[in-house]
Formats: sequence, structure tokens, C-alpha cells
Amino acid sequence: MAVEVRLKELLGGNTMDAAPELVVQEENGDIRCVACGHRCLIREDKAGICRVRFNRKGVLRVPGGYVAGLQIDPIEKKPFFHAFPGREALSFGMLGCDFHCGYCQNWVTSQALRDDAAVVLPKVCDATELVALGTRHRTPVVVSTYNEPLITSEWAVQVFEKARAAGMVCGYVSNGNATPEVLSFLRPFVDLYKVDLKGFNDKNYRKLGGVLKNVCDTIERLKAMGFWVEIVTLVVPGFNDSPEELRHMGEFLAGISPDIPWHVTAFHPDYKMTEPPRTTIHELERAYDAGKEAGLHFVYPGNLPGLVGDRESTYCPSCHTLLIRRRGFLVLENRMKGNGCAKCGAAIPGVWEEHAPKQSAGDGYPRAVRL
Amino acid sequence: MAYIVAEPCIRCKYVDCVEICPVMCFHEGANCLVIDPDECIDCGACVDQCPVNAIFPEESLPEKWREFVEINARFSKEWPVITHKQVPLPTADEYKSVENKRALLDPTPGAGDV
Repeated sequence: MAVEVRLKELLGGNTMDAAPELVVQEENGDIRCVACGHRCLIREDKAGICRVRFNRKGVLRVPGGYVAGLQIDPIEKKPFFHAFPGREALSFGMLGCDFHCGYCQNWVTSQALRDDAAVVLPKVCDATELVALGTRHRTPVVVSTYNEPLITSEWAVQVFEKARAAGMVCGYVSNGNATPEVLSFLRPFVDLYKVDLKGFNDKNYRKLGGVLKNVCDTIERLKAMGFWVEIVTLVVPGFNDSPEELRHMGEFLAGISPDIPWHVTAFHPDYKMTEPPRTTIHELERAYDAGKEAGLHFVYPGNLPGLVGDRESTYCPSCHTLLIRRRGFLVLENRMKGNGCAKCGAAIPGVWEEHAPKQSAGDGYPRAVRL
Repeated sequence: MAYIVAEPCIRCKYVDCVEICPVMCFHEGANCLVIDPDECIDCGACVDQCPVNAIFPEESLPEKWREFVEINARFSKEWPVITHKQVPLPTADEYKSVENKRALLDPTPGAGDV
């Protein structure tokens, strides 16, 4: 508890008024926050489910002016496979989450306000400093990630406004528990949006703190609004890997667009979910097959680099020519011509550079950076 | 795991909790509320709204109220959903600090508002 109090005090100074677009005034000084799908009714002196957005004297205060995670990642780690391949993304996170997934791999930041064992001290900074860091390291992309970015959307937009002015493209790595209001708020600044589809069983979704329908609605809405969308499903043995559930996810995504890349990634025991075993190669291949059989053009098994044959690579859906050869987060070879297949010329869905690097400049690992 | 409404709610039913719930999982009986464990998303937002501290995560429910796990599961399937704040029961102040109220639980459904 002492840690939580210290952290809250520390963060209390790094807040700002919520964007009016994300607030609905209710009776008696109550506020409804619409930054995420919980749509919390927040009474005076109380916080929302995320514990970082709170009602102070009838005004919704939200986080800003700090980062709790900051590094330069290969963009393939986000993962975006169809945006700026081989390039790096300045990646920042804050604290808190509106879910409480037992297998969270970023729990030291996402659960910092719920769990005393999760302690990462935030670093105070402003948006200009962050963007200058990206400029200095020549990252074409900046991404809000590590914790749930929806609950800190005002800060993300502050950073993204400056990043776009500096020529960068901006992205969200999110659980997809969004609202139409927050997506409209983000759309002018965000082009890349990754959603975790954590399964297709509502009862299981609720154990993680969410509702399946909200996430499905978000995915549909993101595509309709013209975001570039990639989906990740962490395949957890015994939790979401039944043939039916994998098929339903694949069919749902293919029904929205067969061009949505679906990353099916291997689970390792983490945080409070330590009982299921690691996902095997065979299980991951089953998930891959389910996506392909559902009609998806691009399915990528993740987290087992070099162990899944050629499935980490991108092939032209029209002529099946190898376009981007990958291992893990590393682009080994990019044969695309602009936004199309070098052989048949078919347009490949994604966000491509005219003159993309032929291979990753880095070694496929994150780089620590300092402000 | 879900959150559980336990014995202190009986004959009080302050109903401060229901508007906070993001998934409308409170159900109304004649003299207390319950949470549907299949709908609850474990967010815990309701806990500190209750003036009589009747709501607990299942894993830290006091042992003497363990029966309320089953009571919540059963009556949430029989009682209607309630989502809006209402006036507490007229007996609320009288019963808010009374213990051992289990026998007073009325299985009759409340009015609900959905």
C-alpha cells in the first residue's frame, strides 16, 4: 500500500485536464469518462477503473508529462509487419491499464497502480523532448505502448501532434477496449493501430477485465475509419486455443477484411498466469492454419523466431512470391517494390515507404535510450 | 473470480454501487443485491461505493460469508438487473450495523430497472 500511495502522490503532479471530447458531465458533479470501453461513471474524489483518470472537484484529471517505459524497438516488435518494415519505432508507455490480464508481459507498468509488486518509477518529460529523441534517432514512427494507451490518450495526442509535425507516423498498441469517441479523438493523429484480440470467449474475456463485444466493435470501427490495423492473439494453451475458438477469431477477422494481418504469438508463463505451459510450435502452427483456412491473406506466428519455417515471412497473395523475409523482429530481405509485389505488381495492403531498407538496420533487438 | 455482495447488504440495499458498474451486473432482490459472476469483469469499481462494505473479491470474502458465492450465482439468474441509484430501504440505517442477518435474506425478486 505504501508503494501505491507514493506512486499516486508522484503521479498526482503529472496530470492535466481531460480532453473535452472524452468527458461527459453527469448530475451531482459526477463525470463519465469515455476514453475506454468501460465508460466509467466517476464520482468526486474517485478514480476510474484504470485508476489513473480521476474526478477532482468535478473536473476529470488525466496523466501527462511523464513516461514509465521508453525505448527504440524494431517496428516488428509492436508488432507491425505491414508498416515501415525494417525500421524502428520510438516507443513510450505510461502507467496503468483498464484490464488486469493474468499473463500480462508488461505488468510492472500496466498494473503499477493495482499491485504493490509492480514498481517502475516514472520519468518526467515533455512532448517536445520525446519527439526530439525520435528525430535524433531518425525513427519514422512513434508508438504509445507498454501500458494501455487509450487511458492516456490526451498525452499521446500531445506527443503525436509534435511528432507528425516532425514527419513521423504515429501508432497505438492497445487492447482495443475503445469507444467511438476516443477513436474520433485519435484519428487525426494515429495511423497505425494494433489490437490484442485475446480470445473469442466472452466469459474468459471478463476474467481479464474486458468484454469481447467492445473489442470486436473496435476492430470493425478502426477498419471503417481507415486506420491501418494489425491484430495479435497470444495463444495460451487451454485458455483460447481450441480449434473452434481459433477458427471463430480467424473468420471474424477475415469477415472484416482478409487483408488484416493476424499475429498468433506464443505464450510464456508470466505475472499471475504461471500454470499453462509455453505454446508449442505445433500449437502455433494450428493457429496459423486456422487463420489461413478462414481466408486471411497474412498470418504470422510470433515469439518463436526461426522455428516456424517460412511462416514469419510475407508472400504476395496474388502470385505467392516472397516479398519480405523475416526472422523474429529482423527483416532479412525486403523485395517489395514501393507498395506492391516486385513480380506481379499487385498492391500489398499496409503502410509502405517508397524507398524502404532492404533489411533491418539494427540487430532486431530493442535499444535503450535516454532523454 | 468475481466480486460478491455479502451479508451487510441485507435490509440496507443502499444501491450506491449499481451506477458505477461498467457491465450492469447487479441484480435486485427485495432486500439486497447480488452480482452475476458470469458478467462481472473483476474491476472492483463497486467496492468502495458501498457504505456498509458489503462487496468483496471472492478470494478475500470473509469465511463466515462463503455461502454468498453461491447466493450471488443463484439469485443473479433469478432477479432482475438494476442499473440506477434508488432510495435505500427504509430499514437501511437500522440494519447497517446489525450482524448475522443471513436468515433475513428475502428470495423475492426486486423490481429492477432494465
